[in-house]
Amino acid sequence: QVSAVPKKKEKEPFAIDFHAPLDPSIAEMIYTPASSNAAISLSKAQWKSKTRNLLPDDKHFNSKQLLRLFLKPNARMGSRRLGHGNA
Amino acid sequence: QVISNLFSDAQKAIAGHRKLVVGLRKIQEACVYETPAGDKSKTLRDAFDEEDFNFEFSRCVLRLMSIRRVEVVGDRLMKFVAAFLKCANAALIPAGDGDEAQYQETPASRLIAQLLSLLLQFTSSKEKTVRYRATQLIAQLINSLDSIDDEHYVLLETALLKRLKDRESTVRVQAVLGLGRLAGQDGEDEEITNNGLSNAEGLTSKLLHSLRNDPSADVRRALLLNLPLTPETLPYLLERARDTDGATRRVLYSRLLPNLGDFRHLSLSMREKLLRWGLRDRDESVRKATARLFSERWIQDCANASRDEGVGSSLETCSPDMDGLLELLERIDIVNSGIESGVAGEAMGEFWKARPDYVNEVVFGDAFWQQLTPESVYLVRTLNDFDKGKTNNTVQEKMPEVTTLAFHLMQHAHNLLRHLENDGIQAENRAEEDTVEKEFVVEQLLYIAKTADYSDEVGRRAMFHHLRDLLASPLLPDEITKLVIEILRNICGNEPTGEREFCGVILEAMAEVHDVIAPETPHVDQEGDESFHSARSELSDSTPTKPFQSQGAGTAAIQQLNEMKAVQEIMVNMKCLHIAQCMLQNVEGALQSNAQLVTMLNNLVVPAVRSHEAPIRERGLICLGLCCLLDKKLADENLTLFIHCFQKGQDALQLTAVQVLADILVTHPSLMQSPDADPDVRRIIAKIFASGMKASQAPEVRSATTTAVCKLMLTSVIQDEDLLTQIANLYFDPMTKENAGVMQTLSYSLPVYCHSKRENMELMANIAGGVMHAAVELSQDLEEGAEMVGLGVVGNMLTDWTDARKLVIQDEIAMDWDAVGRRRSQAVNGDIHLTLAQRVLERALHHGCSREERKAQMSMLGKLLVNGNSRLDKLESVNNLVIEAIDGNLA
Repeated sequence: QVSAVPKKKEKEPFAIDFHAPLDPSIAEMIYTPASSNAAISLSKAQWKSKTRNLLPDDKHFNSKQLLRLFLKPNARMGSRRLGHGNA
Repeated sequence: QVISNLFSDAQKAIAGHRKLVVGLRKIQEACVYETPAGDKSKTLRDAFDEEDFNFEFSRCVLRLMSIRRVEVVGDRLMKFVAAFLKCANAALIPAGDGDEAQYQETPASRLIAQLLSLLLQFTSSKEKTVRYRATQLIAQLINSLDSIDDEHYVLLETALLKRLKDRESTVRVQAVLGLGRLAGQDGEDEEITNNGLSNAEGLTSKLLHSLRNDPSADVRRALLLNLPLTPETLPYLLERARDTDGATRRVLYSRLLPNLGDFRHLSLSMREKLLRWGLRDRDESVRKATARLFSERWIQDCANASRDEGVGSSLETCSPDMDGLLELLERIDIVNSGIESGVAGEAMGEFWKARPDYVNEVVFGDAFWQQLTPESVYLVRTLNDFDKGKTNNTVQEKMPEVTTLAFHLMQHAHNLLRHLENDGIQAENRAEEDTVEKEFVVEQLLYIAKTADYSDEVGRRAMFHHLRDLLASPLLPDEITKLVIEILRNICGNEPTGEREFCGVILEAMAEVHDVIAPETPHVDQEGDESFHSARSELSDSTPTKPFQSQGAGTAAIQQLNEMKAVQEIMVNMKCLHIAQCMLQNVEGALQSNAQLVTMLNNLVVPAVRSHEAPIRERGLICLGLCCLLDKKLADENLTLFIHCFQKGQDALQLTAVQVLADILVTHPSLMQSPDADPDVRRIIAKIFASGMKASQAPEVRSATTTAVCKLMLTSVIQDEDLLTQIANLYFDPMTKENAGVMQTLSYSLPVYCHSKRENMELMANIAGGVMHAAVELSQDLEEGAEMVGLGVVGNMLTDWTDARKLVIQDEIAMDWDAVGRRRSQAVNGDIHLTLAQRVLERALHHGCSREERKAQMSMLGKLLVNGNSRLDKLESVNNLVIEAIDGNLA
């Protein structure tokens, strides 16, 4: 039974009682301005992104590049040994 | 109270908002206007006047400010408030009035003004929730109201611009939603505001700055969708196709670009870039969005245009339009984007996949084949490729038989050759463009021929003879030569006899090429032995239009003739070497068993390697390298030559040398590994690879060397602790980031290397301490503003690379046999991580070890796999080191 209590609370949808007067703590929260502009702003360092948030040039490196010869791009590495090359 | 009732109802669901808005309006009207008839409202007006209404309304809005961001209730109420004010504002402004009416005060405008003042005050609240809600409501109001008075306009803009730099990305997103609208209006009708045009431009440029620099992808995405589309903003928006965030890239392709209007307004190079970036994106959803854009939107733009100019811009997909498709291909500059590495191949692959209606519609008649354009030939070629990838090749019925194909191919090839012969005479630009297009057509036909079925003997023979004749034409462009040779290789068949036939026919054609352009004796060939006299007459016959012919006789003319001769000699050599190279790329049999190849090596390749002309020498080296791949002895003899080329050569030569060396070693691993391999050679080669990756090298050399080293280490041809240390260090070095080739090779290869073999993993564990130390030093030497991965990340990667659970190979240590002789897998032991721990602890116990380094080391130790299966002596020695470390107060 003890565990049922918080569960029930979660299910209850959030709603505002517009008739009730404003809770003073909430009023304070709403009306307190920030101590300074800097306190609620991005730091200067974050204003500028060196990379402009862009990806580097994609080279699409994949296993093919490791498995083929530089000089014979069409022939797979090791095919000589496996294939008919012993002639 | 009635007002708060309405607010209470409004938070429950969005569905009833319309009714509630009307209800609230009635109350407002009742409070505001003198209504002569109806006593009920009269009494209400006595009790509440406009001021009361506004106060009560504001009070309710105030309550919204504290609703946390995640609550849907908040968003509902925001919508309600905006909907009401929009309704009130629209109703209270008398319709159809002129300018004065716009600036007239109304009850609604007074309410809005009061509300905005209130909200503005909250935008600098200490609480992020309040700032969020205030900014959100302002943004909603800006978007739902038609106009805002000047005074508030300026205040709002200032406040929102501040929020554009808010600490919270969620607040910034809301600021963007508001500012985007303001920036959009600036372009249209707000130029008359007292701040003038410069202000509008200022706002847009600030937003563009955020689009590039905001650290949050959500903010950038909001900007992407809310900035006005103008010629000024477009380049910035399109740039987001390479945004680091996948969802932002996808939004560009799936929402911005389809709504952009006709894609043909984009520049040619931008179209190509967008296609290339999108179709080759690392994120599948981006690739899909791009494919849809291409095969649904872009084709539509062209199909509509070809059907009737301007009228039919309906978005629904209409029936296939072949002229539209041809235009689409033209609009993506097929002659350039349709080359082998070009993106058009992928684009058309996606197109055929997405549009079976077009696949069914196409027909290729005789007339079609005779009048091929770059666009139409590319259409057939990609459809053919698409069809070959499938199991039921329905399209093949539409393709001509091999004999017919060969016939068309020859027609176009001869057309091209005739054109090339005349090229010297007509020096117009038009001719050059024509040449490129004609070449393109022939190339595409060759690609089709490459996939053709040669089981029909008649067709096979026809193609074979045609191609052989073509190859003997000295003017044949390089790319076409290469394709012709590849097809001939296919036709000849895979058996050793087929290969010999192939070499024979190529060398025969090469000899013909040689005789046609150089009837006199170039130093390469000992056979061609005609007199100088006949050569001269030949030359002057073939070049009657050259201006220098008419310039006086005597020594000057002879000298020029000699120069011409030298140039031509180089051209002959280059051509022959190119043919040789293409041929050798398709040969696999042993060199010594093919006497023709040996002759070619001695008569063509070897002299070329010794040539004084750099381009000839370079091609010669590549051919020599290719020969070395076919013969181990030859390779052994020439290793020092390639080493020398690397040590003394320029960038291009170094690149060739590294590639040849790597290929030779991969093909003949025993040159490095066998017991009788020369240890000196091994040492020098390791040294060359090490220096090839150094920062002082040209970027391409570095990138090729890195790939070479990774390849050789992965195939275990090279097992070298120093090289491994070097590439691991290189991976963490911030300088490497500038060379995407090196970086991406390493990030692919290092984990593969470590996880593929136990020995590799052990080697990595052994050097991990040193790599970590190097990373610490790098992070200390960082230049101002330079960034580097955190030491924690370095540690994580090193532990991941050495995690025995991730080994993909099941070797003897991982497996054993149970009592009845069945194989079973062993529990993974922690030996490798213990080695890592040992190396790391040894470092940590060293005097020179900094605090920072120790911190990173200790956090690594916590993630290691250590269990009872591990070797006892290892456990013990690590244990001792740990005790020592604890005694020394290190951890």
